[in-house]
Amino acid sequence: MTTVTLHNLRKEFDDVVAVNGIDLEIIDGEFLVIVGPSGCGKSTTLRLLAGLEDATDGEIVMDGRDVTAVEPKDRNVAMVFQNYALYPHMTGRRNITFGMKSSGDFTDEEIDRRVEEAAETLDIADLLDRKPQAMSGGERQRIALGRAIVRDPDAFLMDEPLSNLDAKLRIQMRAELAQLHTSLGTTTVYVTHDQTEAMTLGERVVVMNDGQIMQVDEPQTLYDFPANRFVAEFIGDPAMNMLPVDIENGTAVHEAFTIPLPNADGGVRNGTKKGDDASIHDGQRAVLGVRPEDLYLASERPDAGDETLDATVNVTEPLGDSLLLHCSIGETPCKIQAKARSEIHPDDTVSIAYDPARLHLFDPESGNAFYHSESYASSESAAAAADHGWQSR
Amino acid sequence: MSTREIFDSRIESGLLLLPTLLVTVVFLYYPTALAFRTSFFDSSFGRAEVFVGLENYVGLLTSSGYHRSIFISVVFAAVVVVGVVVVSLYLTFLIHEVDTGQGLYLISVIWPYALPPAVGALVFLFITHPTLGVLTGPIESLGVEVDWFNNGSQAFVVVALAAIWKQIGYNVIFMIAAMNNVPDTLTETAELDGVGGLRRLVSVYIPIMTPTIFFLVIINTIYAFFGTFAFVDLLTSGGPSNATNILIFNLYQEGFSFFNFGVASAKSVVLFVIVGVLMFVQFQITDRYSYYGG
Repeated sequence: MTTVTLHNLRKEFDDVVAVNGIDLEIIDGEFLVIVGPSGCGKSTTLRLLAGLEDATDGEIVMDGRDVTAVEPKDRNVAMVFQNYALYPHMTGRRNITFGMKSSGDFTDEEIDRRVEEAAETLDIADLLDRKPQAMSGGERQRIALGRAIVRDPDAFLMDEPLSNLDAKLRIQMRAELAQLHTSLGTTTVYVTHDQTEAMTLGERVVVMNDGQIMQVDEPQTLYDFPANRFVAEFIGDPAMNMLPVDIENGTAVHEAFTIPLPNADGGVRNGTKKGDDASIHDGQRAVLGVRPEDLYLASERPDAGDETLDATVNVTEPLGDSLLLHCSIGETPCKIQAKARSEIHPDDTVSIAYDPARLHLFDPESGNAFYHSESYASSESAAAAADHGWQSR
Repeated sequence: MSTREIFDSRIESGLLLLPTLLVTVVFLYYPTALAFRTSFFDSSFGRAEVFVGLENYVGLLTSSGYHRSIFISVVFAAVVVVGVVVVSLYLTFLIHEVDTGQGLYLISVIWPYALPPAVGALVFLFITHPTLGVLTGPIESLGVEVDWFNNGSQAFVVVALAAIWKQIGYNVIFMIAAMNNVPDTLTETAELDGVGGLRRLVSVYIPIMTPTIFFLVIINTIYAFFGTFAFVDLLTSGGPSNATNILIFNLYQEGFSFFNFGVASAKSVVLFVIVGVLMFVQFQITDRYSYYGG
């Protein structure tokens, strides 16, 4: 059980800044996921936590102890790697016990007892006498997890542990990891580039880009109230639509439409600053963000209201459970998730309705969010959603 | 099987193969066959060859001097092979562990390999010469009298050391490549687990490097039997009292000092058989203990 605090942590590789002065508090026992695109500094952050990289500046504090310059072996953390990092010439059992035996901190009886416990927890008893080459990817990952948990570390550090597994196994292992964390309750930091993994596993999710933290929040909050354009576009698949607009009289004016912004006179919530840039005023340029699933074909929702906009369909992608439409609203590209089996073809012009509770505005320069319609319209939108049969988030 | 036609005709491909085949036959297979034939003859300069059957072999089997030469060769090979592999592994590990100046260390270890054997032998002579050698003084200050021109055991050690020193570079080149191929995550896992450096070398790196190490054991064995001729010739000439008279030098003397081509050929056949058997045994062991991944 450990609380980990990062103060202004920085890591440079020659002239490349991998981690650019981040501050983060990892709460005792939580499952924290760090997510971001390749090269955003998430793995480097994890390696700094493990002690495998030396910080250029800043400090790492574990339970009040400054461990910034402490050797990896003295931090009592266990790491699980993407490629499992199993010793290929050792059996499963020896892979699990090798580190403990080498460090000399444990008696043979203690090691045996812990291996039995781990084998039971992870259901790997029949793998213990096999070498990694005789195991499947999932089995190897279980042995790697076994090696991590037998040491009873203060924190688990996981670097994309599911990336080498096939899609089906990944979903299964994801659930098992969540279950394992529930039963062990050990502080876990999990790095991934897969936003689905981040959303499903994390109690809190850290979104990183260019070595900086973009937002730290619970998964649903991250999705509903992105602090900036990067988070809005990174979290969610397909990504949020971004339409350039001007603000006039509490409405968003685009070349092809004008839509009212519900309760445009208040502040904003969650992650965005309440300051000068947080108020909406006339003549302001902005980027309107709407998720594809918050746009509907007006024909699908005749009761959705009069506010509709026209879009031209460019490409249709049947996804099975829905039909993804790549459209143009005026000159702006836009994606819409329509009902499966809708009779839509390229070059059709469709009439689009939207969920007024799910609009976001971002500053075109800084990218910061300064308006989320749901924070003000939440009670109304919930009622409206009930009326319209919408699935309001 | 690839069905792609690279050459227009069989004649064209045959012609391109011809130079290689010609060189191999003329300089390898023909001399081998000729040596095998000559081993059944009494042959020397200026007189006709006389067929003597197995007499040359019988002579070798009953010669105590030759038995001793075989014994010395096998011990010499064992010392050289073990010495080269152990020292090279340790040096490779040290080079692998340093963060800066790896290239410089690598060059300083490899350069003896770049010397021709004869030059290497002369360099080593200057280093260890009983009266002039640069290392002689420091060694003698430890209470050891350096006298390998007369002391057989010392001469054996000096030649073995020279042979090891010369071959380390070759081994380190292969070993550093193999060690760098060990995934970083294994090293990092060991670091996180608090596994010490030497333990990491012995329990993690060496098992993964076994294919390379076994290859080097084979190459080093061949080197110890055949490639160390120059050291014996230039440092000790097989002496003192035949203490360093290994098989390859023994057969050279037989052939080119005493001009007994028949006996020398028989000795080369025996050497070939000994090394061949050793190779066979080593390959059997290699297959059993090598880790080839998967």
